Amino acid sequence: MAVLINKNTNVIVQGITGTMGGTHARLMKAYGTNIVAGVTPGKGGQDFEGIPVFDTVYETTKHFRVDCSVIFVPPYFALDAALEAIEAGIPLISVITEGLPPQDAVKLHAAAKANGTLVNGPNCPGIITPGECLIGIHPGSIYKPGKIGLISRSGTLTYEIGLGLKQADIGISTAIGIGGDPIIGIDQIKSLELFQNDPETEMIILVGEIGGSAEEEAAEYIKSNVRKPVIGYVAGVTAPPGKRMGHAGAIIAGNKGTAKSKREAFEAANVKVADTPYEIIDLVKQELAILA
Amino acid sequence: MRLFEFEAKELFRELGIPTPVGQTIKCAEEVFSIPAKSFPKTLKTQVLSGGRGKAGGIKFADNQEDAYHKAQAIFKLPIKGELPKTILVEPKVTIKKEIYLAILIDRAYKGPILMASAEGGIEIETSENIQIVPVPGANYSNFYARELAAKVGLQGIQLIKFAAIVDKLWQVWTKFDCDLAEINPLIIDGDDNFIALDGKVTLNEDSIGRHPRFAGQLVNHLSDLGDREFRGKMCGLNIVELEGNIGILCNGAGLTMATMDLVLHKGGKPSNFLDVGGGANKDHVKRALDLVSSSDDVKVLLVNILGGITACDEVAAALAYYKEIRPDAKMVVRLVGNNEDKAKAIMDKAGIPMTNILEKAVEEAVSLAAKA
Repeated sequence: MAVLINKNTNVIVQGITGTMGGTHARLMKAYGTNIVAGVTPGKGGQDFEGIPVFDTVYETTKHFRVDCSVIFVPPYFALDAALEAIEAGIPLISVITEGLPPQDAVKLHAAAKANGTLVNGPNCPGIITPGECLIGIHPGSIYKPGKIGLISRSGTLTYEIGLGLKQADIGISTAIGIGGDPIIGIDQIKSLELFQNDPETEMIILVGEIGGSAEEEAAEYIKSNVRKPVIGYVAGVTAPPGKRMGHAGAIIAGNKGTAKSKREAFEAANVKVADTPYEIIDLVKQELAILA
Repeated sequence: MRLFEFEAKELFRELGIPTPVGQTIKCAEEVFSIPAKSFPKTLKTQVLSGGRGKAGGIKFADNQEDAYHKAQAIFKLPIKGELPKTILVEPKVTIKKEIYLAILIDRAYKGPILMASAEGGIEIETSENIQIVPVPGANYSNFYARELAAKVGLQGIQLIKFAAIVDKLWQVWTKFDCDLAEINPLIIDGDDNFIALDGKVTLNEDSIGRHPRFAGQLVNHLSDLGDREFRGKMCGLNIVELEGNIGILCNGAGLTMATMDLVLHKGGKPSNFLDVGGGANKDHVKRALDLVSSSDDVKVLLVNILGGITACDEVAAALAYYKEIRPDAKMVVRLVGNNEDKAKAIMDKAGIPMTNILEKAVEEAVSLAAKA
């Protein structure tokens, strides 16, 4: 089952003939993702390593049932690409692109909301349902299929946890890299809702970081809506205020958005909080023992 | 990119927001070119750091001689370590009322908000009386501004005039892809005119590339940064300085923060945040190593790379090179993932110990730093 994507998901890649798009289209296909088509304006009619390329997103929908578009186009073209996918009626869009201007992000999310489109990202590693479907840039071999739902604002930190779980022989249902920007589509609350409703997911790992109030809001949501065990982690205890820690969204403004505040919110929602990435694995093992 | 006040006001005037008619000077002697009859004047230091008023960076001058001495003092006065290159000289204005006004993106609303307070000149972070009007989807119209005006208690012609200023500030905010466009204070003078007495504009750095007029400007707007942060910006490396002695080099923002936190958790102190990004090649990692180790405080380098897109052997090649030119440097290296085996071979040949276990690497780095 898993959430958002599975072995039946038909995927197109916008920007498939670019360096990033091409590299990752190849990796996604090798992983087993159904890449049905690619889009690059002006290159319609060509093919990319056996994948047909079209000029417009709309054309791909005439030939295939398209469930998801993964966007690898450069930042100043990403809004246009996403609007095209939204307009073509594609239900799920993953924007991998980093550096999307915030004013473009506002317009993107307004359009998505108006059309009921789910947007993953921007500035995210994408989503993976191990053994079935990979969209984005997750290194597929790091994850093992299983029953843990993984939600994270970060890329490599997600891989770290996926790897730690795999080494402990624990698998995941789906990992959602929600993205490191201040304005994102599928957020922590939406991800929690999906995993709570997914019968294949037994437990949820929620990896947050400093900046904003998404973890605090997620904690409130967990209190009244999530019945599955949740393990939390917050990166950025050592982050000084006022400095952007890599991700556009990872910044403590005034005294808001600190790791301490997020940890406390998690604890108040009965979320078990790990001090370190590998302690997450220990907490998962403990919870699995209780569930068994 | 935070603009200086005089630059922010140029953008304001361009889109029709009135400001005091001022001029900039680069040295104290220039005050003698200001007509004697136009005094009294306000002298305002042009720095990027906040809190300049309290620190003595704003002074009033009654005549040229007075202005000369005060300008000399201001040019020598660092604000949080930052010396001004410019002073803005403006006429003194009569203030009937002060208002705070700003436009910025609020993450909770997933869009822009208009923000105002009936008390101008305040520290906005600590103020209680902030009024907010969100603009969903950035679909602006004047009624949002009128709502805001009413919320801060403006009436009649003042409400209309205030809303017109908000219209223009909205144009500034959208036209230049601002993170923040702020007027604090926006004043109402003796003749009921609205004037931007101060201006703060932060351009979004991801968006500057589509604004040719700001091309090459970033280098002049980093005077509030520390040494490594300044050089990092110049070579496209994202570094944040801290006060510890363990230099950190990682890939990915979240993993970098988690690694720093681990150092603290194990009793050590990270010297910096540095994310080399995804897919970093040998040269990029070399530059990052140079940058991190350029502080004398750094006693140990902790490298933590999880190769997803990044190839571990590219990183290993940079580390081997670094070991050659800095044989005494203490390095603790954790490499795992993409091309890990190739990396191991390079590291063995270079004689640099390497682990694929994060906890082990951090413990080793903390213990080495304690001995240094």
